[in-house]
Amino acid sequence: MQFEWTVEQDAFRHKIRDFLASNLPDDWETFSEHGPASPALTAFAREFCVKLAEAGILFPHWPIEMGGEGLGPWEQQILAEEMWIAGEPRGGQYMNVNWIGPTLERYGTPEQKARYLEPITRGESLWCQGFSEPDAGSDLASLRTRAVLTDGHYVINGQKIWTSYAGLADTCFLLTRTSDDRKKGITIILVPMDTPGITVRQIPSLIGEGDIHEVFFDDVTVPETARFGQEGQAWEIVAYSLRNERLGIPRFTLARAALDRAVQMLKGQERFRREAVRIEAARCAALCEAAGTANYAVVQKRVDGLAIGAESSSARYATVMAERAVCEFVIEFLPEALAGASSYLKMHHQRGIVAGVAAGSAEIQLNIIASDVLELPRESR
Amino acid sequence: MQLSLNEDQQQVLDFIDSLARPYAGVPLHDVSLALENAELDAALIENGFLDVMAVEELGPVTAALVVEKLARLPFAVEAAASTFVRPLVAPDLPRPICLVEEDRMGAPLRFLRPGATVIVIGPSGVRSFTAEEEHIAAAQEDTLYAYPVAFLQTTPQTLTTHTVDAAEVLRLWRVAMAAEAAGLLGAALASTVTYVSERKQFGRPLATFQGMRHRLAEDQVLTNSVYWLALRAAGTAQQGDAALALLHAQEAARRVCYDYHQFLGGMGITLEHPLHLWTYRLKLLTAELGGRGEQALAAADALWG
Ligand SMILES: Cc1cc2nc3c(=O)[nH]c(=O)nc-3n(C[C@H](O)[C@H](O)[C@H](O)COP(=O)(O)OP(=O)(O)OC[C@H]3O[C@@H](n4cnc5c(N)ncnc54)[C@H](O)[C@@H]3O)c2cc1C
Repeated sequence: MQFEWTVEQDAFRHKIRDFLASNLPDDWETFSEHGPASPALTAFAREFCVKLAEAGILFPHWPIEMGGEGLGPWEQQILAEEMWIAGEPRGGQYMNVNWIGPTLERYGTPEQKARYLEPITRGESLWCQGFSEPDAGSDLASLRTRAVLTDGHYVINGQKIWTSYAGLADTCFLLTRTSDDRKKGITIILVPMDTPGITVRQIPSLIGEGDIHEVFFDDVTVPETARFGQEGQAWEIVAYSLRNERLGIPRFTLARAALDRAVQMLKGQERFRREAVRIEAARCAALCEAAGTANYAVVQKRVDGLAIGAESSSARYATVMAERAVCEFVIEFLPEALAGASSYLKMHHQRGIVAGVAAGSAEIQLNIIASDVLELPRESR
Repeated sequence: MQLSLNEDQQQVLDFIDSLARPYAGVPLHDVSLALENAELDAALIENGFLDVMAVEELGPVTAALVVEKLARLPFAVEAAASTFVRPLVAPDLPRPICLVEEDRMGAPLRFLRPGATVIVIGPSGVRSFTAEEEHIAAAQEDTLYAYPVAFLQTTPQTLTTHTVDAAEVLRLWRVAMAAEAAGLLGAALASTVTYVSERKQFGRPLATFQGMRHRLAEDQVLTNSVYWLALRAAGTAQQGDAALALLHAQEAARRVCYDYHQFLGGMGITLEHPLHLWTYRLKLLTAELGGRGEQALAAADALWG
């Protein structure tokens, strides 16, 4: 076991930091208060990702056959950490390089690959993920948005909700129901967002403007070739995609960076002397580092080519605990931070509070740990 | 970064497993809460398991793995201080090793007995003496802790002074305790999971109730991360990492000791179930080095000055 980064890994991290230092504008910190899915950041990301692509650090972790450098999971982790600590200047394009690209490569038709992969690699496309519905959140398999195949076209009717990036996305990775066979009746359709019949409505939120949306589908008609994979294959494909993205965003690194920032602010005002503050700060640090090591243990499994199972839920829950602690620390000891005194801490708060909800809630992670890590007898339904 | 066990580490752990197998079962006992086993102790010494720190290809992370593993046994083994602190202070000090802070000389000392080495750490530096009858207060038969404990009543006039950095000794002490706690946490969790998966009420296993599942899952998250923080602290040799590891371990211990005794109901109050062997060790470890507040302050000093 080796808990230090290798020289190459350190160099890779510095390469990204240097790139960020020379390519982010001076007012970036205030600017990044706009959430990753906001119009402002999305527009910024469209230019920024093109530069990343030119510098070869948009998807260096992709295999060489896909145009990447074939760097490993640690480099993917380092890339994600540095971007997220910096306020995710890639906006929604982080999804492209983490899972949409690799999933297209694996399951797409030649036509779909030709159409969608190229813009991703140039840093020019934005996707949204149409999974959740008003009555299908944690219980995703109960989704009802219908796609009916007639005369070589799918006609789609239904509603999605909480959809990030929907307002500005080019394409939706959409889950639809093509039969009543619960998980086996779900089919993916790649839907251009300018298709007639799609209505997007922003939902005002605690996490900033333009981040989450409702999306309505009224007789939205796309050719059968827009289907991704076979009818009923969605569950398998999404499971594969999530394997690429199991840990999700490396939130614990931003939590730790926010904690350090809060401590520096407190120190600057002679407010870090009291034991109560110091003890609580250390507790937060312990939770951040606990989440970090738990996450790294999962990354190691990817490095070793092992299947990743429910231990990723344990790592994610550890992250939720860290996010919660840091958010609470800032409010308790530096309340002015969320009222204009620190863009960075406000940005952290707005992203941190989502940790236990988005992409599978904290309680669902606990359910998974109970069943699949602890192997407790199943709950009766 | 490389977080899987290397071959040497795997071998050491496998070897300990086979050596410890005869001691994995819990004998019924009704005299003392603290279980020890002289044969097990001798076997560990003989095979050099408590000396892995000094072996170049093994080192501190392997030492932490060994301490963690041994702490899972129902028998209390004085492995942590011997493995982590003794090599630095003086490798030939007689075991067991008892660590005590200069300003907490009145604390219950684990494994204190005639012949044990007491290492006193504090502003006066690092000093030691061999405990004799006269230094030790009357035997504590009525302790609730599942470690053998005793109190110092006097210390010799002169102690042996060791020219080692007291801060470094404290750091290793923290790592050692975090590793021991990690093993105790792991064993206590496994023992509780087995019980609640088998015990039925309302016609179904207790473990099918979500109220219990979620708390157990949170306990798993803590247990897992204490393990990783302990190993990392051993590996990085940073003061801050050591303090965070023990802080997290002590926080986790408080939480799970409560949960697990709740989950076992009346059974958790009896000595028929071995749960107390791990929880009543963990409970004593929550007091080690002044408890979690002190670890937090030490971590804050190391991280932010
Ligand atoms: C910022 C943000 C961005 C998002 N982006 C997207 C996106 O781009 N695309 C998309 O499709 N979705 C997106 N989501 C939706 C997200 O995936 C869902 O919010 C999430 O899956 C939870 O579903 P829900 O909100 O319907 O909550 P519910 O499922 O209604 O859950 C509410 C509460 O009940 C608990 N609960 C539910 N089931 C159980 C159970 N079995 N046992 C115990 N407790 C339970 C939950 O843990 C939660 O605490 C986003 C959400 C947020 C907050």
